[in-house]
This record gives sequence, C-alpha cells and structure tokens, in this order.
Amino acid sequence: MSGYVFLFDLDATITRQEILPAVSRKLGVFEKNFSLTKRTMQGEIPFKQSFLDRVELLKKFPVSQVSRLVDEIPVNEKLVEFITNHRQRCYIVTVHLDVWIQEMIKKMGMEDHLFCSRALVRNDYIQDVSDILDKNTVINQMNLPFVAAGDGNHDAEMIQAAEIGIGYGGVHDVSPAVLAVASHVICQEDKLAEFLERLL
Amino acid sequence: MAVSRTVIISCAGMGSRLGLGSTKALLEVGGKSLIIRHLEMLDHEKDIRVVVGYQAESVIEAVRKYREDILFVFNHRYRETGTGASVALAAKYANEYILSLDGDLLVHPEDMKKVLACSHEFVSGGVPGTDDPWMLQTYKENGREYVSAFSKNTGTYEWNGITQMKSQKMQNGTGHVFQLIEPYLPVPFLELRTCEIDTVNDYERALEWVKNGFH
Repeated sequence: MSGYVFLFDLDATITRQEILPAVSRKLGVFEKNFSLTKRTMQGEIPFKQSFLDRVELLKKFPVSQVSRLVDEIPVNEKLVEFITNHRQRCYIVTVHLDVWIQEMIKKMGMEDHLFCSRALVRNDYIQDVSDILDKNTVINQMNLPFVAAGDGNHDAEMIQAAEIGIGYGGVHDVSPAVLAVASHVICQEDKLAEFLERLL
Repeated sequence: MAVSRTVIISCAGMGSRLGLGSTKALLEVGGKSLIIRHLEMLDHEKDIRVVVGYQAESVIEAVRKYREDILFVFNHRYRETGTGASVALAAKYANEYILSLDGDLLVHPEDMKKVLACSHEFVSGGVPGTDDPWMLQTYKENGREYVSAFSKNTGTYEWNGITQMKSQKMQNGTGHVFQLIEPYLPVPFLELRTCEIDTVNDYERALEWVKNGFH
C-alpha cells in the first residue's frame, strides 16, 4: 500500500459542470456569472475577488435553494465511487461555501473530510463570507505524501506540492498554471479512476 | 493470454536537430503526424501513456482529437534529461510490461503487429539507416537471437528505441533508454522496419518510405 492521501478539487473535477455557472443558469443570472468565471479562468481577475463577486450575485437567493441546485449537478460517478470507497484517505478541497455544497458533500459522506470556505447564514440567506479557503493552508497540514487532482489555476499550488499531481481535463481544458506543474494529465473519468486505483 | 502491458510513447523532446518549431511527434509525414500514426496502430491497447514536455499543450490537444483515454505523463526536465527519464517516469504504476516507443519514429504497420503479438521482453533494431545510429551487438543461441550490448561503433543492427521490458526494471534513470536496459542484457532481439527522424535527411527518407507504401 502506498500510504498516499488523496486531495480532490470539487468544481469540474468531481462535478461534471462548473458549479456556480450551472446554478446561476437555473436562477437566471448566468450571463453575469459566466463573464466573471471566464475572466477568472483566463487569469484576468484574482480568484478570491471573483469568487466574492459571484457569491454577491447568488446571495439574494435562499441558501436552501442554492444548495438543492448544487446537489442536482451531475458528478463523475467513478471518481465519487473511488472517494467513497477510500473515504478515510480522501479529502475534498474547494473554495466553495460550506452552506451551498452541504447536500452534495453529505451524499458522499465526506462532511468530515472537507476543506472549504465558510459563510454566516441568517434566515436562510447568506450574511457574510467568514472564511475563504486558502488551498496552501491545506497543503501545509498534510504530513503524509499526497496525490492531488484538479483543473484550475487555483489548484496549481496543491498539484505542485503533491507527490503525484494530476491535472484533470475531463470537463474543460486543464489550466496553463496546472500544466506547468502537473506530473500527469488525464482527460477521461474512467482513466482517472483507474489510475487512482493504481496509486492506493 | 494477452500480455499485461502499458505502452509508453515519448514525445517530450524538442526536435532541435530538425530545426523544427514544434516537437517531433507532431511532425507530419504523408499528411499525418507521427504520434497519430502510432496511435492508429495501437487502437486495441488499453493503457497508453504519452510523455510530454516541450509544447505539451499542443501534443495533448493533438492526441485528444484522436483518443481521450490517454494518460499524459510530464517530463518537465526534458531539456536536461534523455528519453530514459521520460520512460522511467511513465513506467511507474504501470502494468507488468512496458512497451516503449519514441514519438519521432515511423514503424512499418506490419511490424507493429509483430510487436503487439510479442509477450516477452525484447530489444528491437533494424538495418542501419539513420545519420547518427546507436548499434546493437547480438549473438545467436538455440535458434534465437539476443542483444548483448549497445554500441556507438559496431554492431549488426541499428537500435530503434523500441523495447518491451518488465516495468519494474525501467523506473530509474535520466539518460538514454538503452541505459535502463543495459543492466538486464542479454535480452531477446526483435527485428523491425522503422524510420527514426532526427535530421532533415532522415525526414526526407521517411517521406519517401511512406510515399512508397513502406517499401
């Protein structure tokens, strides 16, 4: 057994769509969100600022409604199967807000293996974002060699620090920052799950 | 029984001797890039790894247009390491055998079938033909031919970079692929018709070869 711990980005790695654009589409605020997402992926807006701007767009909707819509987003079943089969060695590392992803995370049984951003909620509405996850703090907490998989610029540091750093391009192209540091790139879900099994 | 095999195609290098602006695997011969020619002949192989470095994004894009289930392995140190480093990186977490091919090589389609039918270790070579060959020294025993040494000076065949070895044996090294194999010689020999493309002369030979239906 390798002893590796496995860290996974949520957005467009575990999920088959980008979460906030998918939710925004259903809530009728897609255009604004899409523009922010696109500019962020191109590196034109710092990720944290863009994330806060996108939260601002969605905070007028009840948390329970957003959480339900997040839960409806299709996931990469094979990857989720790997994660749930090896729950004790897997962690989800995402900047998304705890209150929005809680249903999805609960279904995977990963509540105790989650690093995410946090929000204060009153009467089913977000009052404030209390903590935005810095993926570097997660890396610093890892005292075992780890495998990391993700797709976007904000995953690059985690992937660089990993013993095996996988850029996942199954949802959209792997970002240039990840390509510059990844040890592997995989663009198909079955292949990702198969390779992860080899790393156990 | 089918051999438990991972195919490794090394495409990390720069192709500088050809004066190319792109990595050699993307070089088109007869209207098709070298990497796609390899992949077409490997359609039935389930575990294929393409090692990328220089212009990784372009190689990934070209390969994905043909096939999605490829594992790309990065050799970020492609400028200061040889193909052996690429193979060693890709041989980790692989199947029992690795079949290693260079991305700058044309293989006769009929001979690729011979390669894929082979279920044991081998080192491959052919009639010397390139401008700057590494040679294979061989001997025969009980009707079988074995490779006993790699040499810059003398030998019967030209080493073409194609080898099938146990993956466990190929996981450490930064130089040439043959340096990974050397500790395990002798290894059975397999003769193949190939055309490696290192220089402009090689490229012209390759064009001619494809134009004449690999004759």
